[in-house]
Amino acid sequence: MRKFYLALLRYKDHFIFLIAVTLSLTLLLKNDAPDILIIRGKFTDYFSIISSPFSWVKSMIVLQEETELIRQKNIQLTLELEALLLAQEENNILRDFLRFKRESNLKLLAARVVNMGASSNLSSITLDIGSDHGVKVNQPVIVPEGVIGKTVVVGNKSTIVQIIKDVNYRLSVRILPSGNAGILQFISDDICEVRELQKNTEISIGNKVVTSGFSQIYPKNLPVGEVVEVLNERGSFQKIAKVRIKSKLSTLLNVFIVIEESNEVG
Amino acid sequence: MKWVSILFPAIGVFMFQFLLVDFLSLNMIRPDFLVVYVFYISLVYGKTTGIFTGFLLGLLSDLSGVGSFFGLSPLSLSVTAYLTGYLNGKYERMLPYLFHGAWISIIGFHFIIISYVRFQNILLSDPISFWIKCFMSFSYTMMFLLIIQFFYPVKEASHAEIN
Repeated sequence: MRKFYLALLRYKDHFIFLIAVTLSLTLLLKNDAPDILIIRGKFTDYFSIISSPFSWVKSMIVLQEETELIRQKNIQLTLELEALLLAQEENNILRDFLRFKRESNLKLLAARVVNMGASSNLSSITLDIGSDHGVKVNQPVIVPEGVIGKTVVVGNKSTIVQIIKDVNYRLSVRILPSGNAGILQFISDDICEVRELQKNTEISIGNKVVTSGFSQIYPKNLPVGEVVEVLNERGSFQKIAKVRIKSKLSTLLNVFIVIEESNEVG
Repeated sequence: MKWVSILFPAIGVFMFQFLLVDFLSLNMIRPDFLVVYVFYISLVYGKTTGIFTGFLLGLLSDLSGVGSFFGLSPLSLSVTAYLTGYLNGKYERMLPYLFHGAWISIIGFHFIIISYVRFQNILLSDPISFWIKCFMSFSYTMMFLLIIQFFYPVKEASHAEIN
């Protein structure tokens, strides 16, 4: 016993290192354990309280710039609106003719981004709403440009969102108009890859990419991005499409959480 | 007293990293001041203190918000602290270029661990992009570490243990 104690004292650096590495690896391997998620949720609440004044200051800084952009966009949108109203009218008539109906309506919850994590690479964002507002784990998070992630840790008043740029993020998507389905994963900057695509279908640059609806998390037809490159390797049974996501993830201020999808059967 | 002089700056560094590092973000790459602090703590106080500091700061960093791989920061910072601990008080006993090469490699190793886990997709699909990304993260933090050299060089830190 004494020898063991002496050895422990002598090699304490190595023992402490071993304990630290073991604990870290245990945490890494138990990422989805309920206890860990509860602790992370609690801490997220505390950290969001600390960071909210800073996010307010940050939003004030970008507010002026954003107002100018919004003014420009407002003029553009006013012009576009006229054209769109005409298009919508025409669309409505055509839809009536074809007896189309909207398949789903989404119930959205607006949230403010209060933090983007402390790690050196952006993989998550923290929102200022949590379970008190009706948020649950595994709910899609979107912006007008498209899907940006899903909720992974939910505290009472804050939520961590795993964004599309996280290495573990996968999204079942469909490429329109061919309807070919595949699995989307992030590669770098704003480029993602869609794999598992059938080789014999036609995919062109500029094709729209939307959610497939196969997953239990994402409703179908949410916009994701558009195809910028198609890789058709000889000898491979599948095609790979490179997709550019439209959302600017590094400058997110507000997002929506899809809390419900009410299906209309008709 | 020793722990107080480590704890308060550690809280300061963490708060800086947590609240203000977004303002220094370039193309979504952000400097890692936690590794800089853990590196100096290990250099000044040795392995044990460094590992404690690295593990706790890493844990706080991951608790503050990370999408996946919760536990990666404590792991990489503990490894950095452990390796840096070997350089504690060694400046006089090593060739200078070997000493400087060693600490730069340790910081580089930290970023290789982080990048390997976080960008494993890029490594598989485009290894060159992976190494560029890894190097960019490393260089951005190194830039700040080199600026710190003007105020507190590593050779001083290496034999500056406070008892």
